[in-house]
Amino acid sequence: MLEHFLGGLAVVMQPLNLLLLTSAVFIGFIGGALPGISGVILVVILLPVTYGMEPTTAFMVLTAIYGATVFSGLITAILYRAPGTPEAVMTAFDGYPMTQRGEAGKALGIGVLSSAIGGLVGTVALIIFTPMLAKMALKFSSPEYFALAVLGLTVVASLGGRLIFGLIGAALGLFIATIGIDPLTGTSRFTFGNLNLAEGVGLIPVIVGLFAVSEVMKRTLDHENHQPLKKVKVKIFDLPILRQIGMTLSRSSIIGVVIGILPGIGASTAAMVSYSETVRWSKHPEKFGKGAPEGIAAPESANNAAAMGALVPLFALGIPGSGTTAVILGAFIMHGLQPGPMFMLTSSDLIYAVFAGLFIVNFMILLFSKPFIVLFTKLLNVPYSALGPIIIMCCIVGTYSVRNSMFDVWLMMGFGVLGYLLEKINFPLVSIILGLVLGPIAESELRRALSMSQGDFSIFLERPISATLLSIAFLLLAVTLITPLIKRARRKTAAT
Amino acid sequence: MSIKHSVKYASFAFALIGVATGVSASDADNFPSKPIQFLVAAGAGGGTDNFARVVRPMFEEAMGGARITVVNLPAASGALAHQRTATSAADGHTLDFASTTLVTSLAAGQNPVGLDQLTPVARMQSDVMALFVNPERFPDFESFVKYAEENPGKVTVGGTHTASPDHVTFLSLRDASGLDMNFIPYDSTGNATANVLGGNIDATTTSLSPLLSYIEAGQMMPILVFSDERLDDYPDVPTTVENDWDLTDGNDRAIFVHADTPAPIMKRLEEAFKEVYDSEDYQSYAERVNLDYREGWMGSDEYRQRLENNYELYSRLLQND
Repeated sequence: MLEHFLGGLAVVMQPLNLLLLTSAVFIGFIGGALPGISGVILVVILLPVTYGMEPTTAFMVLTAIYGATVFSGLITAILYRAPGTPEAVMTAFDGYPMTQRGEAGKALGIGVLSSAIGGLVGTVALIIFTPMLAKMALKFSSPEYFALAVLGLTVVASLGGRLIFGLIGAALGLFIATIGIDPLTGTSRFTFGNLNLAEGVGLIPVIVGLFAVSEVMKRTLDHENHQPLKKVKVKIFDLPILRQIGMTLSRSSIIGVVIGILPGIGASTAAMVSYSETVRWSKHPEKFGKGAPEGIAAPESANNAAAMGALVPLFALGIPGSGTTAVILGAFIMHGLQPGPMFMLTSSDLIYAVFAGLFIVNFMILLFSKPFIVLFTKLLNVPYSALGPIIIMCCIVGTYSVRNSMFDVWLMMGFGVLGYLLEKINFPLVSIILGLVLGPIAESELRRALSMSQGDFSIFLERPISATLLSIAFLLLAVTLITPLIKRARRKTAAT
Repeated sequence: MSIKHSVKYASFAFALIGVATGVSASDADNFPSKPIQFLVAAGAGGGTDNFARVVRPMFEEAMGGARITVVNLPAASGALAHQRTATSAADGHTLDFASTTLVTSLAAGQNPVGLDQLTPVARMQSDVMALFVNPERFPDFESFVKYAEENPGKVTVGGTHTASPDHVTFLSLRDASGLDMNFIPYDSTGNATANVLGGNIDATTTSLSPLLSYIEAGQMMPILVFSDERLDDYPDVPTTVENDWDLTDGNDRAIFVHADTPAPIMKRLEEAFKEVYDSEDYQSYAERVNLDYREGWMGSDEYRQRLENNYELYSRLLQND
């Protein structure tokens, strides 16, 4: 295996390949940082360009773009609360408050380091375990996915703030997720005969609206002033911080890899679940959402690890683990290659070159992200009266380009207003996103599992993985709900 | 990046202005008189999208250097693309690239744009549908049928979403064979395949080309192909027709236009696509993506007849489901 890897590294190190790889990383940086323009769109746009290349080079370039976009979504998420990619939405929750406190440099440094570490863990897992992990992923079917989604949803109870708001938010997210043609029966739900709603409400208009647009509204309407950021110093290696987030990084990277490997759920879900688990295991859950370093480390290490993990089922089984990998699968077919069980044997040179390329990409993120970020921080000196409209324009173009739909743009504006109003009452927006991302998984997998078992609920308990996940979810929920009651009771006895 | 998008935006706006100003439609000699728009009724990167983007330069050449823009409109199983084609001018400048999903979603009542508003120019691809199983579980179709008869209601067959080509294939098989089986809809072919590989469900009904690598690896096997004749590569696999079931539908990819498009323009378009289809470039692409198992080409009239028949069959099957 090491031999193969070194062989791949030699291919990557050829001057032309290295040059293309570097350009791919920069293209990925730019695309990822612009809100609405995600890895999927970039890969689709650049696909025709790769037809003229050798397959090995072509896939090195495409996967490098993919890796770089997942990383660079964090820049605008931290600086402007305008997540550049859906994967980076969780990063905004703690990254942006840090910027508001004048700690943008620190936040970005944590983000870069976490991304690179998560990416490296993911790549190593990809290189060593691809055949083995792919088999594991096949054990995951509907009952297991449902249990995983339930585990993720129970964290609403641990989020800070008022529990009732959390529940309303999650329910709202779940509701939005039901809009559209029901994939299992084909019935239209809440579409009011409007074809634009038949496909459902996309994640991008909601995220861009709730976070980016509402923030521009807030700063414009409320004349909110921020500490002027004269100089942002990005420090990537900071030992005390590293000690603080070390545990979070290791846990989140592993969560990221595992979730990434599962076909059908991607890096956004991984970021969400690892953020939830970090909140749950933290001694100070109340600090999250207000600028906790762990709140950046968790989603960023997890989404980059998951992005790499999503390539495992693609290479080993020909099954894409996320939207972007589905497009890469299409690209393989266009190049006359057929990823599948035999792919590792028939095209191992290509695969190891791609692996080596991804390995290098993660180091490039560490090296090149700093000058790139500095460019973006310079924008902070632009007066907000000019910057705000530019952000809105990027949001409109980005959202429009996802489905070529003006309807989505109006939807985004609507969610912008909603986000602005909800924040006035300190409503936790994270719970809406939680419901929206995990809702469709929970709903359709529950129904799929029940049709597998002909309506018998015991399928969730008979299968070991789903039974374990569900009991963990139940236990954790019980603990989070009961602990405050015990504390209160103790305080009462202490008082009397 | 954003520049690329504004270019796309601008050319799109251009095309819209063209539509709005209205060009004399009957003039086939001057056709195309403005940029042609390919509306892809599917998301970027999928099979239909790849098809449209591969055909584009070849079609450009066949039309003597027409300008073409490609716009993806995946929303509502492509219904938006159909709608936009049906509301554009009937002058052949708006082409709708769609798969069998057009007629299946129409039969399911999800797509309001019917064959009275759109008509096919030609079909260019027809991927063979088949029933796939894990060969360790069921060595052949007979053993599958035996198991299904002994365990009525227990057999689970996966495929893509409800009213997809996979689903109607399943329904027509169930209808013809009388076997008591359940369909489980998944988000993608990949997910359905993974569940067959992992032993979570029994079989999947889908098209052949995406599963070839699993067949080569011996992890999946077609046990029944929806075809008139046995396929050269799988001489031992029985066909539906052998079982006296007249089910030979594939997952088709075709080009549609406004139903009122004048006949001379229709003819010109059909000829141009035929030229593309016969070209060496196109044939080598079809071979590369494994779509050469059967003749893909079907002319406008013949394909329209077939779609009308299928629409009737699918409506009945989906209503009884």
